[in-house]
Amino acid sequence: MTKLKNSLVMGIMCCALTFGIFWQIRTVESSNVKVSQNYEENNLRAEVLKYKEKYDNEQKLLEKAESELEKERESATKTNSGLEDAEISIKKANKMIGLSEVKGPGVIVTLKDSPKNMVNVFNVANSVVHDIDILSVINELKNAGAEAISINDERLVITSAILCDGNVVRINKEKVGVPFVIKAIGLPESLAALERPGGYIEYLGKYVEVSLEKSNEITIPKYTGKIEFTYSKVK
Amino acid sequence: MKKGKVTMIFTISIACFALTLVMFMQFKIVNETDITSIETMREEELRTELANWKQKYEETKQQYDKTHDKIEEYKEKKENNIETAVLVNEELQQSNILLGKTDLVGEGIEITIKEVQFDDYSRDPNEDFSKIQDSDLLLIVNSLKNAGAEAISINEERIINMSDIAYIGSTFIKVNGQRILSPYIIKAIGNKSYLESSLLGNGGAAEQLKKMGHDVQIIQSDNVLVKKYSGDINYKYITD
Repeated sequence: MTKLKNSLVMGIMCCALTFGIFWQIRTVESSNVKVSQNYEENNLRAEVLKYKEKYDNEQKLLEKAESELEKERESATKTNSGLEDAEISIKKANKMIGLSEVKGPGVIVTLKDSPKNMVNVFNVANSVVHDIDILSVINELKNAGAEAISINDERLVITSAILCDGNVVRINKEKVGVPFVIKAIGLPESLAALERPGGYIEYLGKYVEVSLEKSNEITIPKYTGKIEFTYSKVK
Repeated sequence: MKKGKVTMIFTISIACFALTLVMFMQFKIVNETDITSIETMREEELRTELANWKQKYEETKQQYDKTHDKIEEYKEKKENNIETAVLVNEELQQSNILLGKTDLVGEGIEITIKEVQFDDYSRDPNEDFSKIQDSDLLLIVNSLKNAGAEAISINEERIINMSDIAYIGSTFIKVNGQRILSPYIIKAIGNKSYLESSLLGNGGAAEQLKKMGHDVQIIQSDNVLVKKYSGDINYKYITD
């Protein structure tokens, strides 16, 4: 009887042990996979950093080349008054298109998610800044005569779209998160009309945190991407 | 008998020890599997990030090469007034295209939206919920831009960088300060299938208007004409 009991216990033990050994083998295998994955990932990370650096360097070179081009253009058109006008027009156009940095008076609008306690809010989605909110603020600023606008230093150009992408918003395909700092150049007094009673800022203020600040010196960076038309032809 | 008992206790304790070991190992495995799943996610993210930077780098490089070529051209043709003029005018033309000062043609789509008037007296006449508003057009323009539209006009009013769409007194819409009325005809140049699909489907800006009962029609075309901005494009507050 005891012998039977003993062998039964032993048998179970052996079973458990074998099981343990198999598990161990599996662990070893999976940790092998992990090592290679880590390796791959580190490689990828290094690669990303490499390209980031290459991009930064190239961007610096481009900036240099662009200012050189401007100088060349200037010196080439100096002798010809007709061409000088064209040269000035190009410079002016680049400012409006967004291809060069601009400065001037204007306003800074800051949009933040509501700090309210979410438990007491009926619909949480209402207290978060949405793409349509940003789109509307931008539209109002343009309506009030804004000449150049940037969102978190992403310059808005003719091809810029504002898109919700989960927790972030994409502008010029770049991820942009809260707080959204919208800078606009124009007459500060008319841009500040967004704050008027019944205006859009008052309406938005019910849901999210909005503030508007006038400034006499706003710098808006240039667009760092490229604007190229491939489908359209001049008629 | 006594000897057997000792052996048995000994064996059992070894077995117990082994079991505990296995259990700990199991905990470790569980932990590790969690980490690996996060890491595979990260790997994917890293891949998209890498592709993103690669593309940005390539674009900048192309742009740099182009700028560099232009500088060389200027240097070469410095002595020749006529050739310099050609170069400058080419650049000016390019600027005018990007500003919206030229008529453009190309493949694209034409969207026609007819506002449906609801003669339903049970509805509050002050309520403009069923009307087409500035935000509807704003969303359509934004979707088109996202789909790569190069030029857009609404009822022949060209959308330039500083264009606004305003809803005046809940009665009519102004684009570039010009009053426009239904039917709204939006023209866009770009990849026609991208442009169309950006407006359709669940959550699409055109689909939304259809659901509200408005008449929306989209036509793909190889020959869309987007007229130039009719006013003067200039600035006052940007400092030179």
